Amino acid sequence: MHMALITLLAVAEETAKAGKSIGLGVGGGLGAVGAGVGIGIIFGKVIEGITRQPEMRDEITAIQWLGFALTEACFFYGLVAGLLAAFIV
Amino acid sequence: MSAATIEGGSAKKPRFSTKQKLLAILAIYILGLVAIVIATGANGTRNNSFEPQNEFKLENWVHLGVFSINKAVMYLVIAATLTCVSMIYIARRMQQRPNRVQTAVETIYQLMRENIVAGNMDEKMARRWFPFIGTLFLFILFSNLIGYIPLPTNTEHKIDVLGVHLPAFSLYAATANLSIPLALALVVFIAYTTEGIRAKGPIGYLKSLVPAGVTGGMAVFIFGLEILSNLMRLMSLSIRLFANILAGHLIILFMAGALAVLLGIAALGWFTLPFGILLFAFEVGLVAALQAFIFATLTAIYLGGAVADHH
Repeated sequence: MHMALITLLAVAEETAKAGKSIGLGVGGGLGAVGAGVGIGIIFGKVIEGITRQPEMRDEITAIQWLGFALTEACFFYGLVAGLLAAFIV
Repeated sequence: MSAATIEGGSAKKPRFSTKQKLLAILAIYILGLVAIVIATGANGTRNNSFEPQNEFKLENWVHLGVFSINKAVMYLVIAATLTCVSMIYIARRMQQRPNRVQTAVETIYQLMRENIVAGNMDEKMARRWFPFIGTLFLFILFSNLIGYIPLPTNTEHKIDVLGVHLPAFSLYAATANLSIPLALALVVFIAYTTEGIRAKGPIGYLKSLVPAGVTGGMAVFIFGLEILSNLMRLMSLSIRLFANILAGHLIILFMAGALAVLLGIAALGWFTLPFGILLFAFEVGLVAALQAFIFATLTAIYLGGAVADHH
């Protein structure tokens, strides 16, 4: 009876640890997917735009950096959520 | 591969071309890796006494309760002093024919004035808020950049220099702690809400959150969503800056040696070092300035949007 209880507790703890690891991985991984797609689209559009109108290069580049940083931030939201799941909850 | 001689001058042919130098570096890298693996092996024991999170732990040097002086406070004071002193010094010594430093500062000033402020606000607001946004940009820029200079702040491990016990050198950025970006974001939040209420009155400001032409139940729903999104701005502004700088520092820390120490494999340290160096250059060159630019631009956008006539 005692052995069964101890085993059950051990399994529960291992499962909780596994859940936290999965949470961390999913947070970081899915965040990276979204950010990667977004940044790729931004730079693709920048290339297209500059090809069509080379004289607008400086303006488009300024907006490009703004968009890049905003999209990159979404990866960090995912990462922070994963870290919260793994170490705080 | 011989360089052409310039008429009237002497162009020395370099001893080794760039390609040969790169190949030499690659060869040293691979040979070094092989040598270390042969010398120390590829297995290691897990090192449990090394705790990388202590790099970001703040221990109080002078205990004053909430206002204790610790590493982050010191970096904050250094960044603030550096911003004020350097800019005032350069402004005092301006000449007709600018030298390089003055040109750089003028470029930064132009970036702040035209790009960040004037591009996002009308003229009256721009005149009023330009000093604030300029200072914000410069403060965050200096704060980020100082974080990549090793300073003797690690009081946990001391090193011996000529018989004097100095705290060990470590990298730490003031903005790598959530408190500082959060404080800045709070100031920005209060600033743009106050501006909005001042321009439109409290009821008018709340009404302006809902786009025109939306009526009835949808308006209530969208109003709730907009309030939430407004609060999200606070979180996103602070977390974006904090997580970028923290993640940069953590990756540099792990690539440049913490991974090797944690796992006990010496060859891993040699292997990951170039990535650490590359990431260091990337962070200093791009991320520090970019994050400051983003913070300032978003501040200007929020301020401009708070007083705009329509949503």
